[in-house]
Amino acid sequence: MDSEQIKLADHQQATTILANSITDKIQYLQTLDQAIQKQDDRMVYQLINTKRYQTEVLQKEDVTEIVEHEQLVQDVNLEISEFLSEKLIKYINEIYPFFYFEKVATGQYQFYFGNWWGRRLFGELDVLNVAFKFNEDEFYKLSRAFSLEAEKTRFNSQRIHELSLQNEELQALIDNQGHRDAKKAELRARLKEMAQEKVMPWESNKHKEAKQNLIDEIAYLASIDERTNSAYQQIRQNEKRILELSKEDTLLGYEKQSIVAKFGDFANFQAANERLYRDYIANLIATKG
Amino acid sequence: MSKEDLNATVTFYPKENEVQESEYIVEEITPISTTERLLDYNDQLKISLQNGINFTELLDTLINTKNSSELLDATMKLIDYQLDSSYLVYPQQYSRADYYLIFINRILEIHQAESVVLQSNEHEFELHHEYPGIDSLGYFVFKVLENNENGAYYVEKNTGLELFYLDFKQRVLRFNSRALTELLIVKYQDEITYEVLTQFTDYLLAIGDILKAEYSFDVDFNILDTSNTAYYAISDPDMPQQALDRLFILASETGHMLLSGAQNEAILELGQNVKMTIFQHSGFGEEARWVIAITDPDNAVSFFDVLGRYAFLSDWYLDNLNSLEIKSDPLYF
Repeated sequence: MDSEQIKLADHQQATTILANSITDKIQYLQTLDQAIQKQDDRMVYQLINTKRYQTEVLQKEDVTEIVEHEQLVQDVNLEISEFLSEKLIKYINEIYPFFYFEKVATGQYQFYFGNWWGRRLFGELDVLNVAFKFNEDEFYKLSRAFSLEAEKTRFNSQRIHELSLQNEELQALIDNQGHRDAKKAELRARLKEMAQEKVMPWESNKHKEAKQNLIDEIAYLASIDERTNSAYQQIRQNEKRILELSKEDTLLGYEKQSIVAKFGDFANFQAANERLYRDYIANLIATKG
Repeated sequence: MSKEDLNATVTFYPKENEVQESEYIVEEITPISTTERLLDYNDQLKISLQNGINFTELLDTLINTKNSSELLDATMKLIDYQLDSSYLVYPQQYSRADYYLIFINRILEIHQAESVVLQSNEHEFELHHEYPGIDSLGYFVFKVLENNENGAYYVEKNTGLELFYLDFKQRVLRFNSRALTELLIVKYQDEITYEVLTQFTDYLLAIGDILKAEYSFDVDFNILDTSNTAYYAISDPDMPQQALDRLFILASETGHMLLSGAQNEAILELGQNVKMTIFQHSGFGEEARWVIAITDPDNAVSFFDVLGRYAFLSDWYLDNLNSLEIKSDPLYF
């Protein structure tokens, strides 16, 4: 009897809890549905990441009590992302006019830095979190280019300098071929002369040594010749590399200029990236989007 | 006899040994009397003199006519004219090439577009063209080829560079991009002003425009073509990656920016609404080629103008000739 009563009370409680929970979820989905119908992007952002919204926008410190329903719409995240992308990209275009977006798939966007020739693919847009996922390599190069500015040098200056020096050396090898040929001919003639010389027994060691010296010198010159053979190709390869590096420096120059024109400096640019979510929601509130 | 028939008179005569041979045969049958011989000689002289008079009439037309078709007609006849005969030889004569030169001046004169000066040599009967502003650097003549009786090349004499090929019979005019670049952009770069350069190319364009309009010549302006739809095919069958990267860098150094278009084309804005675009163009039924196009609101700027105007672009073009060179008609150059 007792146990049955307990069971009944438990079941009722369970029913209530579940019913409340389901109602909550229905309400959640209804609210989301309404927000989508009314093109209320702000509300959608609030619903899909409630805790973040509470902390960052409403400045609530304790959000542990908040019940999240985000997992209910997890399988339509890409569709939500697609829905939210239009207004978000429009907003970003104003703040970051140098980012050019390209749709990769539903709800997925990547962006290039600039509209110039050879512009770099700079990252992806995380629409749901209102954040840039920068290509780490490219972002590093840009930040490094900014820090090198103080030293009045460019990202690839050092490397270009080295390659140019190497090319000068290789060119010198090529230019000196005539000299080396003459020198080798001279050494060979001397060697031939020595072979015909009569050598006294007490001089034979010295003679041998002198001969070996000549042979060594010829071998040394021949080894330089060998390096010269590949020099043309190496020079061309280096030139190609220098071109790539100069192009990268030019790209970085344009990127820096763009950031300075809009943000003043790199630190401001980074600060703007970090508060992009808050700034965007604030903008949605202000424009009732 | 009509003028036409007279002109058609052939004045080649049997060679001496052939004459003797035939005389030998004739003698056996009916011997020719001295009187007959004299009469025949006199007839031949008359024919030869008449041939000379016909020639002077054509020359009159060439020098004086105000009519374009008469001018072309006279020029073509003079180019082929056999003035000398075995009875009458004119020691002082202009050459075939000279009639081409005269024609150019006359046709431009008829269209009030004459800018080139026809100069004659004081001692010999030889003509050449001088262009104001370039005259201290070089002069121009036509070069006729022995194995080609149809046309002639317009050549700068000091360099031997062939600027265009002109063919009256096939009614063809072909400009040579390599020679034009070599002469005007490379050789004369520091010697002449941009104004003189454009005046000279305007002169060349006028020749093409008039021949096209008056006589329906088939004209390939090539690198001089100012129309926006002139796509200059470059020699590189693939995307000229390195040349474009170099252009990107060069442009940035001169305050320009090479842009990337929606179709992956490279775009360079040159100011005054002049734009250079490099892109892959698929013509109708043709293989896709990488081309350079220059567009401006008035269809007045050619790729050549751009090279003459912007030193960084002519440097770029010349440094990357192996992939960028604009091809000329391979039939003639």
